[in-house]
Amino acid sequence: MFVARIEGYITSTVRHPSFKSCSMLLCRRLEPDGQAVGEPQIVLDQMGAGYGSEVLVSTDGDLARQILNDNTTPSRLVVVGLIDKISREQ
Amino acid sequence: MRLGVVRGKVVLSLADPRLVGTRFLIVEPITAASLDPGGKPGGGKQLIVADHLNPGEGEIIGFVEGREGANPYWPGRAPVDAYCSLIVDRVSFRKLGISSKK
Repeated sequence: MFVARIEGYITSTVRHPSFKSCSMLLCRRLEPDGQAVGEPQIVLDQMGAGYGSEVLVSTDGDLARQILNDNTTPSRLVVVGLIDKISREQ
Repeated sequence: MRLGVVRGKVVLSLADPRLVGTRFLIVEPITAASLDPGGKPGGGKQLIVADHLNPGEGEIIGFVEGREGANPYWPGRAPVDAYCSLIVDRVSFRKLGISSKK
């Protein structure tokens, strides 16, 4: 699992049939200093995250298969929560 | 899933029987910097991606890496660890600054 920030979205008509009920957002992983780093990743979202949302992303393919109720889905990254606050010891 | 640009394809003369019917694309992953205004999408280290959707050269796709790439072959098994799962029509991406929730 990792914390990420939504920085965009994609649209797609030709796609794996298991993705039909999901919005597909682009996110990047958040570092502890609050900076987003790395390459943009496509995440599936059924929670209603939007541009600028900070989210918890699961990297478990089995969870994606359960959520989409399809054993053939190739997806792995799914939004499992919207972040309210992150606190840590300094 | 990452974004990538199709740069070519690989044709096999002899293949594992489980791969019959699968195409193989040469894909260049898209980096965040290459999506800046005026940039040209691409910039990552190229890799080979299994495919059933048949995108054209230069098209942007989404590809999955890892064991999940073989899920579309379920209940069969296939020696695949990168799979083209969608063809992208439009990408909207803009970087944001430092988080207020850090």
